[in-house]
Amino acid sequence: MYNEIRVFVENKSGKLAKVAGALGNAGIDIINIELADEGQFGVFKLLTADPQKAKQALENAGMTVAFNKVAVIEIADQPGSLVKLAKALENEGMSVQDAYGCILDRGKRAIFVVKGDNLEAIESAAKGAGLKVLDSLE
Amino acid sequence: MIDISERIGERFKNMSRDQIEAFQSEALPKTVAQAAKSPWFAAKFKEMGIEPGDIKSRDDVTRLPFTTKNDLRLSYPAQMLTVDPVDIIRMHTSSGTTGKPTAIFHTAQDVANWAELMARSLYLAGARPDDVFQNMSGYGLFTGGLGLHYGAERLGMWVIPAGPGNTARQILLIRDFHVTVIHATPSYAMHVAERMIAEGDDPRSLGIKIAALGAEPYTEEMRHKLQDLYGFKAMNSYGLSEMNGPGVAFECKYQNGMHIWEDSYLVEVINPDTLQPAAEGEVGELVLTTLRRTAMPLIRYRTRDLTRLITDECPCGCKHSRLSRFVGRSDDMLIIRGVNVFPSQIEEVLMRNKWLGGNYVIELTKSAALDQMNIKVELSKDGFDGTVETLRKLRGDLQRQLKEQIGFTAAVEVTEPGSLPASEGKAKRVVDLRS
Repeated sequence: MYNEIRVFVENKSGKLAKVAGALGNAGIDIINIELADEGQFGVFKLLTADPQKAKQALENAGMTVAFNKVAVIEIADQPGSLVKLAKALENEGMSVQDAYGCILDRGKRAIFVVKGDNLEAIESAAKGAGLKVLDSLE
Repeated sequence: MIDISERIGERFKNMSRDQIEAFQSEALPKTVAQAAKSPWFAAKFKEMGIEPGDIKSRDDVTRLPFTTKNDLRLSYPAQMLTVDPVDIIRMHTSSGTTGKPTAIFHTAQDVANWAELMARSLYLAGARPDDVFQNMSGYGLFTGGLGLHYGAERLGMWVIPAGPGNTARQILLIRDFHVTVIHATPSYAMHVAERMIAEGDDPRSLGIKIAALGAEPYTEEMRHKLQDLYGFKAMNSYGLSEMNGPGVAFECKYQNGMHIWEDSYLVEVINPDTLQPAAEGEVGELVLTTLRRTAMPLIRYRTRDLTRLITDECPCGCKHSRLSRFVGRSDDMLIIRGVNVFPSQIEEVLMRNKWLGGNYVIELTKSAALDQMNIKVELSKDGFDGTVETLRKLRGDLQRQLKEQIGFTAAVEVTEPGSLPASEGKAKRVVDLRS
C-alpha cells in the first residue's frame, strides 16, 4: 500500500502555485496530480516519490494535508498490459471505484493506481496475476 | 369634528419637563408594586433584598434589577403576569424562531393606553382624523399590524387594514380611497415604488402625505430616496413587542430624532459593558421601564438597541426626549428576511461539529431584494481525512442543521484552517453587506 497525498484547498487563485511551490522547493517530484472540484473548495490528490517528506513540506507551507491509502500496481507500458490486471480483478469479482494510470518510463514501466476500501484484496489479486505491487516510487 | 385631545392623551403629550419627571416619580413606585405581584419579580426583588416600598421616586430606578430577553424566555409562559388571567384581553409573542417565544400580556386598559400612545405618535407625525390610513403591515402576533391599526382608529382616521403584499391591490386602494397616510416597512415602500415606476407610473401621483416606516433598520439615504420618489414625509417609528410594540417613540415633523413617550416609559441609556449610565448625550444601550402597563410591567428592560438620548428643546415644542438614529444593537441579533437570528444560534450548530475549528464568519448580502446568508466555517486542523465525501457530507449536514435551527437555508463555505479571524478578542463574526 502507498500513501497518496490529499490537500484541502479553497477554490481560489494561487492555490496550485502554492502546492507546486512547496513541493518544488523541497525538491519533490510530482508523479501524478489530480483535482477533485467541489465548487467552493477542492482536494488535490498527489502521487509523489517521498510521501512523508512531501506531506511535511506542504504542512510547513500551512496547507491542510492528509494521507490516503492507495494500491500502486506496476504494469508494462505497452498495449494490452492493463488487461492482465483487469482480468485478475474481474476473476476475484472486484470492482474499482476510483483509479488512474500514469507512465513511469515511456515504453517500459507504467503504474495503475487504485483507491477504495478493499485495497488488500486488490493487491493480492494483482500479485496472484504475477504483477508487482509497489510500496516505493523512489 | 370630534375632540381628539383625550384620544391622543394630549395632557401627557404637552407635559413640561417638571410634569414629566413628577409623573414618573409617582408612576415608578406603582409599577414596582404591580410587578411584585408576579412570581418572577417577587422572587427577583426578594433575591436582591428590595422591598417595593423602597422605590420612592424615579431616581430609585437604578436600584432595580435589569430584565433581559432571556429573562422573558425563562419566565415563559406567564411567570411575569401580575393580574388575574380573566383580565387579559390580548397577548403578543416575539418573532423568536427557535425554542420558546416571549409572550407579552395586556389588559383592556393596557390595550387602550397603547392605542393612545400610537394615536399620539401618528398625530405628532402630522396625521389627523380626516386622513385615510392604509396599514401595509402584517397582522397577527406581530405587533406592527394591530398596534398601528388600533392607534389609527383611535385617532379617528379612516383605516384600511390592507396587510402586506398584493402590490397591485395596495396601489388600487391607495388611489381609489385617496389614502394620505401609510404604514409599511421601508423595503416594502421601496418595492411598491419600483413596481409603479417599472409600469410607467409615478408614485407621486398617489398623493400620500405621510409614511410611518419601521420594523427594520434603514439608512437616511433610503429615507430621502423614498421621500423623493413619493413626495411624502417618511417618519421613523420605534417600538418593540416587549414595550407593547409600535408607539414607543416617533418622529415629529422636524424629523430630527424620535420623541419617546416618557409618561409611559422611563428611559435610561447605559454602557452595555459596565451597565453604568452612559454620559449625557453619549451612545449607549436603551433601557426602558414601563410606567403605565398593568398586566405585565417590565423593569429596566435591556432593549439591546444602541442610541443616544437628545434632551435639547425640539422646535415642535414637545418636551419628551428624543432618541437619535439607532447605531446598532449591543448584542448582534440579526434580522434576516424578517426573522430574528442570533449568531449564538449559528455558533451552537457549528460548535457541535467535530470537523470544524472555532472560527466562523456570517456574511449577509442582498440578492434580488432578498437577504442571503453565507456562513464561512473553518476546517479544523485534524478535520480533513483526505476524502471529498467527508467534506461534501460536512457541508450538507451543516446546511440541514442550520435550517432546522434558523428556519431558512444558508450557504456554507468551507475554508482552510487559520484562514478566518481568530476568536480571541473581539473578532468580527458578522459582516453585513446588505445596505
